[in-house]
Amino acid sequence: MTYPVWDSQVAESILASLASDPGPVLISLQALQEHFGYVHSEAVALIASTFNVSRADVHGVLTFYHELRTTPAPEHQVHICAAEACQAMGARSLQSEVEGAVSAEVSKVYCLGNCALAPAAVVDGKLIGRATLAKIVEELK
Amino acid sequence: MKIFVPNDSAARSIGADAIAVAITAEAAKRGVAIELVRNGTRGALWLETLVEVEVGGERIAYGPTTADDVASLFDAKFYEGGSHPLSLGATEKIEWFAKQDRVTFSRVGVNSPLDLEGYISLGGYAGLKKALSLSADAVVQEVLDSGLRGRGGAGFPAGIKWKTVLGAQADQKYVCCNADEGDSGTFADRILMEADPFTLIEGMTIAGTAVGATIGYIYIRSEYPDAIAAMQGAITVATCAGYLGKNICGSGNDFDLHVRVGAGSYVCGEETAMLESIEGKRGVIRSKPPLPALAGLFGKPTIINNVLTLASVPAILADGAAAYAARGVGRSLGTQIFQLAGNIKRGGIVETGFGITLDALINGFGGGTFTGKPLRAIQIGGPLGAYFGVEKLDVSMDYESLIAAGGMLGHGGVVLFDESVNLAEQAKFAMEFCSIESCGKCTPCRIGSTRGVETIVKIMSSRDAAEIAEQKSLLLDLCEVMRDGSLCAMGGLTPLPVKSALENFPSDFEGAAK
Amino acid sequence: MTLIMEPDFGTPAGKSAKLVTVEIDGKSVEVPEDTSIMRAAALCGVDIPKLCATDTLKSFGSCRLCVVEIDGRNGTPSSCTTPVADGMKVSTESARLSKLRQGVMELYLSDHPKECEVGDQCKVHGMAKQVGLTDVRYDGANHLDLEKDQSNPYFTFDSTECIVCNRCVRACDEVQGTFALTIENRGFEARVSSGGTSFIESECVSCGACVQACPTGALKEKALLTIGQPTRSVVTTCAYCGVGCSFKAEMKGDELIRMIPLKAGGANEGHSCVKGRFAYGYATHSDRITKPMIREKITDEFREVSWDEAIAFAANGLKKIQAEYGADAIGGITSSRCTNEEVYVVQKMIRAAFGNNNVDTCARVCHSPTGYGLGKAFGTSAGTQDFESVNYSDVIMVIGANPAAAHPVFASRMKQAVRRGAKLIVIDPRVTETVKSARVHADHHLQLLPGTNVAVINALAHVIVTEGLVDRNFVNERCDTESFAAWEKFIAQPENSPEALEATTRVPAETVRAAARMFASAPNGAIYYGLGVTEHSQGSTMVMGIANLAMATGNIGRKGVGVNPLRGQNNVQGSCDMGSFPHELPGYRHISGDAVRDIYNKKWGVELRPVPGMRIPNMFDAALAGQFRGLYVHGEDIAQSDPNTVHVHAALRSMDMVIVQDLFINETAKFAHVFLPGTSFLEKDGTFTNAERRINRVRPVMSSKTGKSEWEATALLSAAMGYPMPYKDSAEIMDEIAETTPTFNGVSFAHLDEVGSVQWPCNDANPLGTPTMHINEFVRGEGKFNLTTYVPTDEKSNRKFPLLLTTGRILSQYNVGAQTRRTGNVAWHSEDILDIHESDAQMRGIADGSWVKLSSRVGETTMRARITETVPAGVVYTTFHFPESGANVITTDYSDWATNCPEYKVTAVEISPSASGPTPISDHGIDGDSQLDSIVRMANQIAKSAPANAGIEIEVAHHIEQFWTPLMRSRLMNDVDRSKLDPIVLKAMELAGVK
Repeated sequence: MTYPVWDSQVAESILASLASDPGPVLISLQALQEHFGYVHSEAVALIASTFNVSRADVHGVLTFYHELRTTPAPEHQVHICAAEACQAMGARSLQSEVEGAVSAEVSKVYCLGNCALAPAAVVDGKLIGRATLAKIVEELK
Repeated sequence: MKIFVPNDSAARSIGADAIAVAITAEAAKRGVAIELVRNGTRGALWLETLVEVEVGGERIAYGPTTADDVASLFDAKFYEGGSHPLSLGATEKIEWFAKQDRVTFSRVGVNSPLDLEGYISLGGYAGLKKALSLSADAVVQEVLDSGLRGRGGAGFPAGIKWKTVLGAQADQKYVCCNADEGDSGTFADRILMEADPFTLIEGMTIAGTAVGATIGYIYIRSEYPDAIAAMQGAITVATCAGYLGKNICGSGNDFDLHVRVGAGSYVCGEETAMLESIEGKRGVIRSKPPLPALAGLFGKPTIINNVLTLASVPAILADGAAAYAARGVGRSLGTQIFQLAGNIKRGGIVETGFGITLDALINGFGGGTFTGKPLRAIQIGGPLGAYFGVEKLDVSMDYESLIAAGGMLGHGGVVLFDESVNLAEQAKFAMEFCSIESCGKCTPCRIGSTRGVETIVKIMSSRDAAEIAEQKSLLLDLCEVMRDGSLCAMGGLTPLPVKSALENFPSDFEGAAK
Repeated sequence: MTLIMEPDFGTPAGKSAKLVTVEIDGKSVEVPEDTSIMRAAALCGVDIPKLCATDTLKSFGSCRLCVVEIDGRNGTPSSCTTPVADGMKVSTESARLSKLRQGVMELYLSDHPKECEVGDQCKVHGMAKQVGLTDVRYDGANHLDLEKDQSNPYFTFDSTECIVCNRCVRACDEVQGTFALTIENRGFEARVSSGGTSFIESECVSCGACVQACPTGALKEKALLTIGQPTRSVVTTCAYCGVGCSFKAEMKGDELIRMIPLKAGGANEGHSCVKGRFAYGYATHSDRITKPMIREKITDEFREVSWDEAIAFAANGLKKIQAEYGADAIGGITSSRCTNEEVYVVQKMIRAAFGNNNVDTCARVCHSPTGYGLGKAFGTSAGTQDFESVNYSDVIMVIGANPAAAHPVFASRMKQAVRRGAKLIVIDPRVTETVKSARVHADHHLQLLPGTNVAVINALAHVIVTEGLVDRNFVNERCDTESFAAWEKFIAQPENSPEALEATTRVPAETVRAAARMFASAPNGAIYYGLGVTEHSQGSTMVMGIANLAMATGNIGRKGVGVNPLRGQNNVQGSCDMGSFPHELPGYRHISGDAVRDIYNKKWGVELRPVPGMRIPNMFDAALAGQFRGLYVHGEDIAQSDPNTVHVHAALRSMDMVIVQDLFINETAKFAHVFLPGTSFLEKDGTFTNAERRINRVRPVMSSKTGKSEWEATALLSAAMGYPMPYKDSAEIMDEIAETTPTFNGVSFAHLDEVGSVQWPCNDANPLGTPTMHINEFVRGEGKFNLTTYVPTDEKSNRKFPLLLTTGRILSQYNVGAQTRRTGNVAWHSEDILDIHESDAQMRGIADGSWVKLSSRVGETTMRARITETVPAGVVYTTFHFPESGANVITTDYSDWATNCPEYKVTAVEISPSASGPTPISDHGIDGDSQLDSIVRMANQIAKSAPANAGIEIEVAHHIEQFWTPLMRSRLMNDVDRSKLDPIVLKAMELAGVK
């Protein structure tokens, strides 16, 4: 997936649309990440001033949630479920098979809610049941 | 003629979309006039993709199908109910479904998720209608009388929470639905939201109107994009139809519903961390008191219930508390939505009254392991649940019996492992998961989980019996500190899988092979 | 002497009125029902182990050491987060609890240095011992190699010692309200962070609350690491702003290690700001002059001499002037930085030894209109509340003040109230930190044009009167109804409506109306104001306008309401109380009162003159006119702080004997013939009176660097002038103050040492002082409404000077900067900056950070520009902390009509790009008869501005009689070109009053 490059004016307009929310920091970070693929370093001060919170407030939230990223998103992302139901179906070995075999950022995720069709993975946003290296490679094509 | 192909994310994860495309294309090619309905899954995930056709008012099932089967299905005139190797007969009569007692999930998979008319025709909004005809006290009493307990894991009587919020004086109250279904092996919340979102909306609306809350939030984990979309879509439909928003159904009550999306944090499934997260902050646990029922979201009285809890409410109101309470055993009343997962042959949703044995669930419904190798361990209740060995298959699946057996029901997920599992590895994972997901507030969880991983690694890698014994003793001490000292269930229950693995599978903790 | 350790009860006190009885380890204790088990235990002497709990912060429950067992309840709840219940039985010790605590401490120590840099100051090892942990069985991942953050000048952050108890983060949130700290990451990687940057680059305001809260060595004063552990402490009072915080000065020998805010301090309750907490280094700075110096001419070099020689030289000079030019040719200025006792002695010397009333104080240039206006309205020249009162306010109106920068410890309290739900209205030309900071945002910001305060307050009152929002019961019961009726009629006139005044004030009428409604409808509405109110041509009118608003809305005489001046200097209130004004004796009693003079005539054995002496600007005019030739300046840098620097310098240069007593060679000392070394607050023994009228003890924590108490130097000079003052110590001076001043009647050092502090009036009726004034009736009987006609200042922007300059302060620097410039505070602010709106900058080709020349009709200066949205177009702003930029070179000699408080807040200026930085001030002579010009300007101003309650001519005549020296009156009658005078002045001159 490709994202637009950081643009503070666009960011401002995204934040403006959240102005009436009573707890806007997390959803702001999410909205900026959704648009730009990550949270740019300038976003912290921008969110702080827009919503009248401290930069530390924003920094604390930004670093708490696993999903928020501060570096641009890669073109391809593979998340492999590393939780118990998928472990029971060989997720550990799938993980090591996939890492190195694909040109994508491979990371762990804990439960995709597809536990009856384990192991599960997400390739560029698409959920894969009964995942195998072959299915993942196919999806990345 | 109507053909049903599920659009549930699990079904789609193994090709449902391709089947839908293929059916449409094949029908066009053959000049067969069809109406393709994307319903939700019925929860028999082992049968996915489960294609159904409506013949003479009855639904006939075929499955599990793949796109490659479509041509032969057309050849067999499946759209008229024709016979095919994948024929399963009438859906309702498939044993796996027939043996269930679907109350909360009664509409799941039958309908197209955003079809409000269909929802109402299947009995939807009867509960709200009933609730609006009753006093607030009477609605709360009904929930109390049903015996409904929190399905999120803690099992706290829902009615008592509602009563506390009802009695609280405040200028604003909230209803928060915990849809941060992070436990491995559980997916009932996801399926309900994707397949039957109006039931959850109806449950929350009943809760809101009963206690005087005018704003509701559904906190859904980001790993469930389809559930988020389904809920958002359903909220729009319900709002347009007057079931949400100002003056719902002309009752004079207002109720607005918002979806909040998580950002990858298991601990935000803990109710106070969830409140912090909805408020946009770090998802750190709040100490109690104050109870969220008195000072919850933005400091206001708040009902917090899990998806399954709230989704059970419409049926309780519609059919009466007594009908619901008649199911189940002891103090575990009503039905439980069990989720069979992991290394299992027939995985999916099994809704039945409390009290079914573990054996009946996993061997009866589940059919044993997927790999066919011998079953070795069963984890019940998510990553904080105990690991049982096969000697515990007789346990009755209800809150009390599971605690007595050294486990817990949790959110009702049951994960099977075959003989290839190493329980020391699983215990290490339990600590590791805690160390990754700990909010970092209290010391036992913040530091203890990392020490736990390190200690188990030492046990696993040591060849020195004395050291192994020493580290096991340290691990048991650590488990005690975490259990008794942690601020919330995350740190407090992580010792459960660890200790159960240690106790039930001691042979896996004997160090590295000599 | 030992180190004072204030007890820590673990959690804040319960507030509930309902008491319950609980049993803890068999001991029974009765406490409010919202008390934690931990606090209840502490109250009955049971010390439950704790690390994350402290009684200045809400309970948090993270360390899990304070676990207890409760009869009939499962588990081991934390005692800090569990409230007591009636009949509850708690055990704090058991084998299970002991093992649990050891287990927790074992985890802590597994990620903690084996030895801590600060020794016992880190509570972790001590706690391990306390719970009986002997050995740590874990080894594994840790944070022991993290780097220290040394960026803050005063304290270090050493994450290796951090136990992530969040006390610092919570202190920054709950106590200070800056939210500069957070936890970053989560789980094992959760660490305290100043927002992802170093402390110095962060939002941290260095208030010290985090350092104070830290139970380990993670956040510690650098002095603790470089000098060592303190061994004794002395409780004393900060000498910076008018908040008057109490501190424990922690000492090692004669060396100050650190200042720890006192929890029992009435003004600050354990909080502090960067100045009081850390910026005390000036007191022992090498620039301090500790020996007397003299010189014949100001072009000579100073030479060090003995005290005796310096005193004799000074006295001879003054006596010579008096012999040649008369008794009135000398005078003095008291310091609001000094103690009440020192001030009292100085004014006494002037009145008794100099034989005139030519005494004034630096309060002239800050809060003199407060004294005048509140005296007129309420009968007493002081604020009505204590600081704690703000906790009870529903609406807080802040006018012309930026407490976040100038009164930070009060600002923290105020922001807490706002975050708890109080509404905030700010009237200020700038978007200050008080208008908008993290998690505080004013509900209404009335961003007025500088100089239009009175128009705004009139518009607010107009809305209240015309929309039926007046508290009639209060007015009828408590106020002078005749004056109210006149005021009501006046204020209801259409020209006072927000709509009519919108063009003048630039505040949208709807905003004014909304703010007025919000304030008037609040159960408790409080007004806080600062120099943005007083330092105007209409300063006194505005103070009266504020008093009118408070009375009309019934907001006087209970907690949560009132009119509260935020005093600039530590002892402005006290120096005014002590009789520093030329027209009044201690306790605000006019010099013309025979009975009052009689008290002092008897006590002092002199015959006091019944006529007012000169105010500071009068002195400058008289000096230029050759009438005034000797001045004793006690701890004030008039050459930098007073307006129209060129004029001030010319006046000082024209004098024959200028005596400066100060810590440093300041700008004024450059014009001095005698320099007498002063003492810092750390060497003083006495009292300061803060903005809430609280008399706090100032105790010597170290020996005097000059070998003398400061009052002793004054007494020596007085004796040399022929009037000995043989006090044995400061306590005796306070006894004399108490004996002669009714409001101080009950005050003595012994009493203060016993009760901590008192707010005057303190007398037999109120031995513990008076936190809230005017409870049942006003000091003057009935509250008086005064008419507040808006008279625009003559200082207007025009084609040549199109911008309005307004001045103020910033957090890290203090006033003329003599102290703070000599501390680590320069790390935050090392020069004065001109704030300018982007449109004004663009129009003039000024870039952010570039040099600009700033000129007014009286002078010009140079400083760097900062382009900002905090000032509106047409308005520029700067501070006056640095002599290099000398902001007062361009401020004018316009002043308040009633008190001559300078109009610092409005100067018409023009700005142009400059190639280089500041150049030395080019002093030049003053042409013409500036005294006569002042007399004409002042007389006409009074005629235009005085409230015409009793007939305007009578008011003017009375005013001139009360406040002008006989010489000024005589020049008005005889020397002035009458065609230049307002007809009202001419009429007043015909009345008997003006002789």
